[in-house]
Amino acid sequence: MSEELTYEKALEKLDEKLKLLEDGDLSLEDALKAVDEARIYLKVCTERLEAARHKIEIRPETAEE
Amino acid sequence: MLRPEEAQRPFTVTELANEIRRELRPLTALLVKGEVSGMKRGAAGHFNFSIQDGVSRLDAVLFADEARRVTTLPEDGQVFIFRGRIDFFGKTGRLSFIVDQVEFDDVGKLRARLEELKRRLEAEGAFAPGRKRKLPFLPRAVALLTSPTGAVIHDLQETIWERYPNMGIVVYPVQVQGAAAPTSIARALRRCNEEALADVIVIARGGGSFEEMYGFNSEVVARAILGSRLPVVTALGHTSDRTIADLVGDAECRTPTEAGARVVPKKSDLVALLRERGRRLDREAGQRIAREVERLTLKRQRIVQLLPALVRLRSDRLARAAADLARLSPVQQVARREEALRERSRRLTAAAMARLARGRTTLAGRRAAERLERALAKRFDIATSTLNHRRQQLIAFSPESVLARGYSITQDAETGAVLRSSTDTAVKRTLRIRLATGHLGARVEEVER
Repeated sequence: MSEELTYEKALEKLDEKLKLLEDGDLSLEDALKAVDEARIYLKVCTERLEAARHKIEIRPETAEE
Repeated sequence: MLRPEEAQRPFTVTELANEIRRELRPLTALLVKGEVSGMKRGAAGHFNFSIQDGVSRLDAVLFADEARRVTTLPEDGQVFIFRGRIDFFGKTGRLSFIVDQVEFDDVGKLRARLEELKRRLEAEGAFAPGRKRKLPFLPRAVALLTSPTGAVIHDLQETIWERYPNMGIVVYPVQVQGAAAPTSIARALRRCNEEALADVIVIARGGGSFEEMYGFNSEVVARAILGSRLPVVTALGHTSDRTIADLVGDAECRTPTEAGARVVPKKSDLVALLRERGRRLDREAGQRIAREVERLTLKRQRIVQLLPALVRLRSDRLARAAADLARLSPVQQVARREEALRERSRRLTAAAMARLARGRTTLAGRRAAERLERALAKRFDIATSTLNHRRQQLIAFSPESVLARGYSITQDAETGAVLRSSTDTAVKRTLRIRLATGHLGARVEEVER
């Protein structure tokens, strides 16, 4: 599920799960499922933070057509 | 005819051409004002055109090096002030004005044109807030369209990496001023979108005069920004006026530092935010499990409390059932009936004896003892025979008499249970068979249902 998920989307999903958990209306089974999913989104967010490649690339101007 | 004093050696054409060039040399750093026509671009990157004022016409050339430097490229029908020198080209025999600078004749007119472009774009909705693209929250990389040298790119890079140390930066070097700037910027914008190496574009330069900023007010650049799929942020310095690029861009900043902060979040903030989320998640998970454990503990306590009462209820019920069972068993019933009959028999005998005694007394009184005795004896016989009949009936119902009729009682040898059905036992079980007289030990060979 993590391939096309951006940091922002993953964070949004994480917050959704957190809210569900904090509202406290979930059954134990659903709560544990929500915790597992939230952990995955947290991991995706962390991965996204590190995904950028630290480098500077210069794309020289191509010859005029 | 040439006169004698004129009979000197004639110039060659080249010599004369060179002579003309020499004579024209003082005509440098000239300013000439005129309208442009016949603008043509040559293969070497130079431009040929004519400058005219309605009466006279002058050929002009703008070489490639100067073309890149000038503030604006001349356009047909527009009046400019040209700076340059006069030169004569021997090869073509033509005299040309070599342009090294082009200036707008009338900035006011240029502003009017700019206002007209603004009005047109506005009517198209190009400045509408609803049209603007949203900047990505966290780009994978940032594209910088700016001069590859100078403070602007340095400031941008520094700001971006200070905020986000591993952010990717893709630089598209562009000309940020001069006549070639609009096409250079537009081309780079198109390449950014085609190559898609970054998620957001920053166009930056360090401010400048109205003329220097001309490129950012051109329709070419405006159209390229509008056509960009990636969001475009402008950072064109502290200028007196917002340029058209600022107006059509998706976010407008002034300095490279501001733009850097706009396109890249602070990584340390994001890390802190995720850490906070992680803590909340751990707390929720922990609390949820703790709550469940507490619930289970409460349930267990309740069960422990209820268990003895439940067992007592069940055992009471069992005891009652056993009593009911005992009361209803055939042996007990026969015994009870026997007892009832015995009781009746006792009462009958007692009643008869009492009656007899009374009769005797009466008879004795009447002296009719014999008659009475006979009558009484007869009655007594009847009573006795009735009683015997009853006793026979009673005996007939007793298990022994049933057995005497040829029935038998089969019991399980081990448990003593009376078998009422073939399914009460199994092959190889040992049985005890009770007959009218004596018992048999037996083993089950076969069970038929």
